[in-house]
Amino acid sequence: MRDDPTVVALVNRAARGDPAAWNEIVERYAPLVWAICTRFQLSSHDREDVGQNVWLLLVEQLGKLREPAALPGWLATTTHRECLRVVTAARKSERLGTGLDDAPEFVNNTMIDEEILMAERNAALRTALAELPPRCRQLMAMLISDPPCSYAEISATLQIPVGSIGPQRARCLERLRKSSALAGFGDLDVHWAKDEKHA
Amino acid sequence: MPDVWDDEELLAALGEAVKARQAVPEWFVETGKNAYAWHNIDAELAQLTYDSDGDRGVAAAVRSEAASIRALTFTSARLSIALGVASDSLMGQIIPAQPGTLEVHTTGGVTSSPVDEIGCFAVAPIPASPFRLRCRTEDGADVLTGWITL
Repeated sequence: MRDDPTVVALVNRAARGDPAAWNEIVERYAPLVWAICTRFQLSSHDREDVGQNVWLLLVEQLGKLREPAALPGWLATTTHRECLRVVTAARKSERLGTGLDDAPEFVNNTMIDEEILMAERNAALRTALAELPPRCRQLMAMLISDPPCSYAEISATLQIPVGSIGPQRARCLERLRKSSALAGFGDLDVHWAKDEKHA
Repeated sequence: MPDVWDDEELLAALGEAVKARQAVPEWFVETGKNAYAWHNIDAELAQLTYDSDGDRGVAAAVRSEAASIRALTFTSARLSIALGVASDSLMGQIIPAQPGTLEVHTTGGVTSSPVDEIGCFAVAPIPASPFRLRCRTEDGADVLTGWITL
């Protein structure tokens, strides 16, 4: 895994008292914490509990993290641990150990590693997208919307001829590909996200 | 490096990234942002040194403690806070016994109650969300526990 200089800078700034840096850390990695809660099928209330604890623990660890670049890993393992705590507490309160034996095996390291990789890649992609010129951002947003917009819709909304959408799309994607935010991510399996739900 | 991604793959990855962010509700993000209010709190941290729920190790002191706890002790250099969990309230004592103020901090806010001459205090109702206790005594001690979940 690469050492993201952005993450290191954000952690250092937040540790020195910069709330904007903290907010950016939360924006970047809240999807990671959320995705892990989703894997554990937590209720909204439990997600709030887990989310609170994870971020509060991080606040206390700022400045103590030996490797700020390892922040995503720290967040993923801490979130897993907090999710397990919530799940275990729920089972205890049910008194009977029903379902314990056939409970899904929630945590394995491969899964955590994959979550970290996905979170880092997604954060980098969102950063790269945010750095594109407004026209490119608009075009990308329409192309990735679900369901995808037709070229006719794109043409009408962005007021560009249908015939130039293809070339613009290629140019914007090329800019995205060259973004420094994405350096180091080419070796990841792009299809992983589609498989993860069945993992 | 992403040169190995063709346009379709890159666009698909971008779609996944944006979707992953959109799946997260704003309240969840706000919870995370609000946690920063705890940065650089100028109080001495009291470590969890006793927990009647034996299968939870003292090593877990840095994280909040989960349900079924009956008695806890948090210790700092200047004082200890002993905590007992009754059905609908928390009973506590500061050791050594001394008067002061006890604050209950949750992510929703702060409430405070007095600590009497013999160091006793009560908190009712028991906070439903994770909380921490901050104790300030008249002789100037300022002690903060880790996060507690009951």
